[in-house]
Amino acid sequence: MLKNFLFLNLKSIRYRPVRSWLTIIGIVIGIMLVVVILALGNGIQNTVKSTLQMFGSNLIVVMPGKETNPLTSFFGGERFREKDLVALEKIPGVKFVALEDIATMNIEFDGEKKSTLIHSVQWTWMRELLEESEGIKLEQGYWPQDLNASEVILGNKIASSLFKNPVKVGEDIIIKGKRMKVAGILSPIGEQMSDNIIFMPQSIFQSLTGKRSVAMSADVKVLPGADINLIAKQVKFELSKQDVVRDFSVLTPEKTERIAGNVLSIIELVLVFIALISLIVGAVGIMNTMYTSVLERTKQIGIMKAIGATNDDVLSLFLLESGIIGLVGGILGIILGIGVAYLIGLYGNSAGIKGLFSFASLDYFGLFVILFLTFVIGVVSGLMPAKRASKMEPADALRYE
Amino acid sequence: MEKENKKQKIDPICGMDVTDFSDSPEAIHNNKKFYFCSNFCHDRFKRNPEKFSKEPLVKISNVWKIFSPDHTKTEVLKGLNLHIWEGDFVVVIGPSGSGKSTTLNIVGLLDKPTSGHIYLKGKNISTLDDNERAKMRSKTFGFVFQQYNLIPWLTAYENATLPLIFSTKKASKKKNLEHLFDEIGLKERLDHFPSELSGGEQQRTALLRALANDPDILLGDEPTGNLDSVTGKKILDLLIDLHKVHKKTLLIVTHDMDIAELADQVITFKDGRIIRNHETHKKAYVK
Repeated sequence: MLKNFLFLNLKSIRYRPVRSWLTIIGIVIGIMLVVVILALGNGIQNTVKSTLQMFGSNLIVVMPGKETNPLTSFFGGERFREKDLVALEKIPGVKFVALEDIATMNIEFDGEKKSTLIHSVQWTWMRELLEESEGIKLEQGYWPQDLNASEVILGNKIASSLFKNPVKVGEDIIIKGKRMKVAGILSPIGEQMSDNIIFMPQSIFQSLTGKRSVAMSADVKVLPGADINLIAKQVKFELSKQDVVRDFSVLTPEKTERIAGNVLSIIELVLVFIALISLIVGAVGIMNTMYTSVLERTKQIGIMKAIGATNDDVLSLFLLESGIIGLVGGILGIILGIGVAYLIGLYGNSAGIKGLFSFASLDYFGLFVILFLTFVIGVVSGLMPAKRASKMEPADALRYE
Repeated sequence: MEKENKKQKIDPICGMDVTDFSDSPEAIHNNKKFYFCSNFCHDRFKRNPEKFSKEPLVKISNVWKIFSPDHTKTEVLKGLNLHIWEGDFVVVIGPSGSGKSTTLNIVGLLDKPTSGHIYLKGKNISTLDDNERAKMRSKTFGFVFQQYNLIPWLTAYENATLPLIFSTKKASKKKNLEHLFDEIGLKERLDHFPSELSGGEQQRTALLRALANDPDILLGDEPTGNLDSVTGKKILDLLIDLHKVHKKTLLIVTHDMDIAELADQVITFKDGRIIRNHETHKKAYVK
C-alpha cells in the first residue's frame, strides 16, 4: 500500500518538476539557516572562549566605558591619566601594570604607503604578557631591550602581506616620518586585529602622537596566588578617585567571559529567530504549492475516487506527497547547511579563527530532529488542502477543468 | 410516501412509472399483477417471468437531483425510476442536459441524489457513507468516460492497473488483467504516457482500467463521443464483446444511435424524466 502510494507520489512530483523544486528550495533555505546556526553555534562559543583564555587567568583589564557594554566606549576616545593607572601598581598582589594605547598611523615601506594600527607598549611587560598569558612567541628576531630605541615588532600579517614585498627582520619601515628598525615578527595570533598591529615603545608612540601622560587602557598583571576578584575591587576603588574618565570597566577573565557569553547568546537568539521565520516561510510555500496542486489535480482526484480510492486514500496520498517534499527539502537543507558551515569553517581557518566548524562536534540528534520536523511541517501544511481534496464528491471533481 | 409508492405501477423490466398509462400491457405471475410500458417489456417478461419478478441488479427508485449552486435551482432528475437487469446492455439516449450523465453518476456512486434511493441487488446503497461508497465503486463499477480521464503522469499500464492500488484483493485480478491486455490489444503501448497515445488507445486504456477490478457493471458516459467513427466502432465492438463473452452488464450513455440499436434496453431521457420510446424498444426487439 505505502509502496504503491510512494510510487504514485514520486510520479506526480516528477510530473511537475519546476513547481516541486521551487517548493523544496523554499524549505531548503529555512533548514539550511537552522543547520548553519546549529553547526557554528558551538564553534563560535569555543573560539571566543579560547580567545578570551589567551589573555591569561591572572590579568585584569582596565578600560574606559561602562562594564555592561565596554565595547562601545573602547573606541570612544576617553583616556585615563597615566599617573592614575600607574598608582594601581601599589595595590598589594599586583605584579605590574602595563599601559596600552593605540592609534592609526601612516607607515611606509619600499616606497609603498599604508596606514595601520600602532600599539604602544612597554617591551618588558609586553613580552611577559604575550609569552606567559597568551602563549605568543616571536617568530623571528628579538625582543628589544632599550625602551627608547627606534625599534618595532610587527604582527604576523603586517610582515607577510600588508606590503607587496614581505618585511624582514632588520629592515627599516617609516612610521609617521620616523625611521624604525624591525626587531622581530610575532607568530600568528589567530585574530585579525592582533595580527595586523605594530608594537612600538611607549616613549616614541607618545612623541609621535603628541599624547603625553595619557593611556587608553591598562593590563593589571596579578601575582600568582593573589585573589584576583579582591584586587579587581581595589582597582575599582583606586580608579574612582581619578576625575578624567567617569565610566570605566575593570574586567576579570571571569567577567569578560560572561559578557561575551551574553552577547553571543543574544546573537544566537536573533539568528535562530531568523531561521525560524525562514522555516515558516518555507512551510507557507509548501502550503501554497499543495493548495494549488490540489486544485490543479481536482480532476485526477475525481478519477481516483471513481476507480475506488477512499477519502483516506486521497488524504494519505496528498499528505505523503507534502511530507516527501518537506523531507527532501530537509535532507537537502541539512546537507547544504553543513556544506556552508564547513566553508565558513574553512574561511575562518584561513583568516586565523580556528575550530569554528568540525564534523565531530555536529549535533547529529539535532539534525535528526530537524529532519523529522520538516516531514511534520510538510504533512501539516498539506493537511488543509488534502482534506479539502479528499472530501470532494467524485462527480464534482470530474467536472473540474 | 411508502403507501403512495405501492399504488404506483412500475414496469418491472425497465422500471418506468406506468401509473398514468392507459394502454399498458399487463401480466400475472405467482398471483401478482405486473404492468408494462410497452409490448417489448411485456414480451421480455413473459420469456422469463421467474427472473423478472425478482429484484433487478440496479433499481433506481424515485430519485430527484436538484442542483442549486447559487440561488437558482435546477431540477436535473425529477423522480426517476429505472431498473437494470444483470447481463443487460442498456443504452441511455436523450438531448444534452436531460439528466443522462447525472443518472449514470448516481448509479455509479459518483454523485449523491437529492432524494430517492438506489438499490444494488436489493440492497439500499444510497445510504452508504463515503468509505463504503468508495469500496462499492471499487468492487462493483467500472467507468469509461468521454474524456478518457487518464492520469497524465502515469503510463498506460500504470493507469490501467491503478484501481488495483485502491482495491483490497488484487493478486488474482492482476493475472486476469494481463490476459485482457492481450485481448484489447494494447500490449506494445503499455509504457507510453497518455499524451503519447491516440484517442482510441487512450480509451482502450481507460477500458482496461474499468475492467481491472472485474466489476459487475460497466458504466460508459459517451465512451465513443470523442472518437472518429472508425475508432469509435472499435471501442464499441470491444464493449459488445465484453457484454457477450464476459456477460458484463453495460450501461452506456450515448448520442450514437448505432449503439442504441444493439442494446437490450434503450432508455430515452427528456427533461429529467424517462419518456416512453416504443420505437427504440421495438428496434432492439427486432434485432
